[in-house]
Amino acid sequence: MKLRQPRFRRQFLAIALAVSGTALLGSNLAYYEESLPSTLNPLFAESMVDSRVHELIFDRIYYHSPITNELTSRLVEGWTVAEGGKAVRLTLKKGLTWHDGVPFSSADVCFTIDAMLDPKTPSVLGEKQRAIFRGCKQEKDNVALVQFLRIFHNPLERLSFYVLPAHSFDGNTAVQPDHEFSAHPQGTGPASGARGRRGVTFTRAPNLHHKAGVGQMSLQEGQDPLVQVRTLQNNGVQGIIAVPPSYRADVSASDDLALKSYDLRSWWFAAVNQDKAYLKDKRVRQALNLLLDRTELREKAVGVKPNEQNSPCEFISGPFVQSSPYYNRAVPVQARSDQEQAESLLLEAGFTQAGGRWHYKDEPITLRIGMKASLDIEATDLLSQIGNQLEAAGFGRQEYKIGVDDWNRVVLTGQAQEYDLLVGKWSFGLVEDVNPLFHTRNTDGAGARNIFGFSDPEVDALMQDFEKARLDTQAQDAYHKLHARLAEELPYLFLWKLDTKSAWRSNVRGNTIAPYYYWTEFDSWKYKP
Amino acid sequence: MRLWWVRTLVRLVVAVGLPFAVPCIIVYLIWSLPGDPASIICPPEMCPNTEALAARWNLDQGPWHFFTSWWQSALEGDFGRSWRLEPGTQVADRVFESIGPTVALVALAALLNGLGALGALTGLLSRRFHPLIQVVGLVPALVLALVASAAITLGWVGEGGQLAARVGLGALALGVADAALSSTVSGVHSLVQSERLQRYAQMAVLRGEGVLSNILPNTLPALAGQLRARMVQLLSGAVVVEVVLEIDGLGDLLWRATLQQDFVVVVAAAFFFALMSAALLFFQALVEVACALWVRRTPGGVAP
Repeated sequence: MKLRQPRFRRQFLAIALAVSGTALLGSNLAYYEESLPSTLNPLFAESMVDSRVHELIFDRIYYHSPITNELTSRLVEGWTVAEGGKAVRLTLKKGLTWHDGVPFSSADVCFTIDAMLDPKTPSVLGEKQRAIFRGCKQEKDNVALVQFLRIFHNPLERLSFYVLPAHSFDGNTAVQPDHEFSAHPQGTGPASGARGRRGVTFTRAPNLHHKAGVGQMSLQEGQDPLVQVRTLQNNGVQGIIAVPPSYRADVSASDDLALKSYDLRSWWFAAVNQDKAYLKDKRVRQALNLLLDRTELREKAVGVKPNEQNSPCEFISGPFVQSSPYYNRAVPVQARSDQEQAESLLLEAGFTQAGGRWHYKDEPITLRIGMKASLDIEATDLLSQIGNQLEAAGFGRQEYKIGVDDWNRVVLTGQAQEYDLLVGKWSFGLVEDVNPLFHTRNTDGAGARNIFGFSDPEVDALMQDFEKARLDTQAQDAYHKLHARLAEELPYLFLWKLDTKSAWRSNVRGNTIAPYYYWTEFDSWKYKP
Repeated sequence: MRLWWVRTLVRLVVAVGLPFAVPCIIVYLIWSLPGDPASIICPPEMCPNTEALAARWNLDQGPWHFFTSWWQSALEGDFGRSWRLEPGTQVADRVFESIGPTVALVALAALLNGLGALGALTGLLSRRFHPLIQVVGLVPALVLALVASAAITLGWVGEGGQLAARVGLGALALGVADAALSSTVSGVHSLVQSERLQRYAQMAVLRGEGVLSNILPNTLPALAGQLRARMVQLLSGAVVVEVVLEIDGLGDLLWRATLQQDFVVVVAAAFFFALMSAALLFFQALVEVACALWVRRTPGGVAP
């Protein structure tokens, strides 16, 4: 009976919250997000939640239509190449306004670019854009000349940033993260947003280019997934952004709910700290890669049976999902463990085995393994399962769950050197730019997401090839080679791509979910309580 | 008793110093953390140009500079903007809207304790209830708050977790947990009992006078002291109750700001907690002065 108690408690809590949620029935469209957004200013976005929220409030100059996959714009009427390919002249649509009624103009486009280029704007995103843009000139009220540092084969792809209103900052391009705008922004998107203490409220903001079908919507911070699902079933909320695989059957069983695919291009990894003497040797990392039985991990953590058809979890051998044009299919995935080969690699690397434990230079090896705590919702106990497998193979282990804030501020900034392995997940849109993950960290902002400071000149060169590519085939070629190189060097042990599914009540209609940004087609969403 | 005013004076000095001392101590604690404060709030890898941010937030010239500039702005009613908890939000707005729920929560819990004290003082609350109150008082505020949370979410009390239901149940939990009510009742009982045994009180009984009116001037300062101590206890407990019951009060704000390392919110919330404590000290001193004047002006005096 003791074993059943935690489950009972969770169900009790779930029912309790579901009952309380029912009281909210019929108010407005409410949904559970993974967490609260860290800011409503897109220049300082830190997480996927931020990106999704910003998509509701702002417009990107250009975006990929989730329906046709074409690069399109709600703000731009037309464009021409200028300055021999090093600039584009944008003609903006007339009659568009910001949420406060101020007309949208080319001054706002130029202000946004200037703000990103201003070194006094402490934004990682801005720093990245400084390697792309040279400046912007307002030629007419509705014409802006956007200048690049060099010729890009796909210049419009570079214009997928959100436009900020110049008047909200009085034209001051040194935008600060604690400006009032971060809490009460003005956008041109389908809804205006206001951050509260426990959520965000979105209110329809009709415009010439937006006519949202939902009047009001509120974002609530998701708690236990069971609680989320029960509250959804009881109509306490109408949607959940990400439903863990183990709860999807529950959702599917209900006629009132529908599971919707959310193409996030997310893949999971265990980053390896090569600064540790015992992990420096490539053969040790390869041995760790061979020791992980991904099939068993997937079964125990995600609930996928070994021969299950249409599995939500697909193994990968490199930093791309299998459906990506950059995925190199010549590199095989490691679905099962290979203890024998792993042992021989470890012995070759100078490891010795004594009393069932691996030793390096006569010291027993204990691996400190960390994992982003929020991933536990999607893959329950993955951290323990990885620890179990490595322990069974002869490594000591210490496990740590890392909160989202620490993950963003310590791990992603390359300051988590005390760990040996870090389990995490990356998500991408249509543009799968992995350069920040594997490029050598430098002062120009390259390698900004390089967790353990991995550095390999060959990898850097391949990434530069990708950056310089003028044709899609050149870009693919560079990334195919990168995939193969990373599968050999193994700064990460690549695990899998895990499908993301949202759940919405069936009276929420027209709910097209865009890859990555989610709310790109929010105008078509309708809700009848 | 000729130097009765010394303790009162000390209380007044502490009451004046507390709102200065608490933010100051917190600021120095922040500086004692490893790394510079600006980098703790936003590491350079996340916030390029951290030096400029440090200058903007007055974090670049040491703790004293930060403290004095914070005070300068605070005197003008400007507590700055949140850096991390809710970037861009006026801290003053968040703090002021948080004071109401906290005051309501603590006041209701204090009312419960006040009724207990009154019952003990007048003898309406029999000593037979003491064991029961003491047993309930053994339960920590956290546990009672969790029970209250379950009651609200199950819909037993209030609809959909309304604020009134959360504050009401929270106050009940706060008022009785951690021996708050039992200490109040037994404290007042003991005080009254020992004062009743004094010769002057027994003489008053022989004279046919009421005991309470005779012992009150002597017990009032002690009662005020007990009440203040209880209020401080309730203020501390309010943090736990607000966090568990999701009451948007000052304690919840302080807790979440601390987790997010949003120092400007932490300092402001702690400052207002200090102000409340100072107000309680001031109240106690006031009661002591009033009692001293009452005793001196009463013909023949009432003190032994």
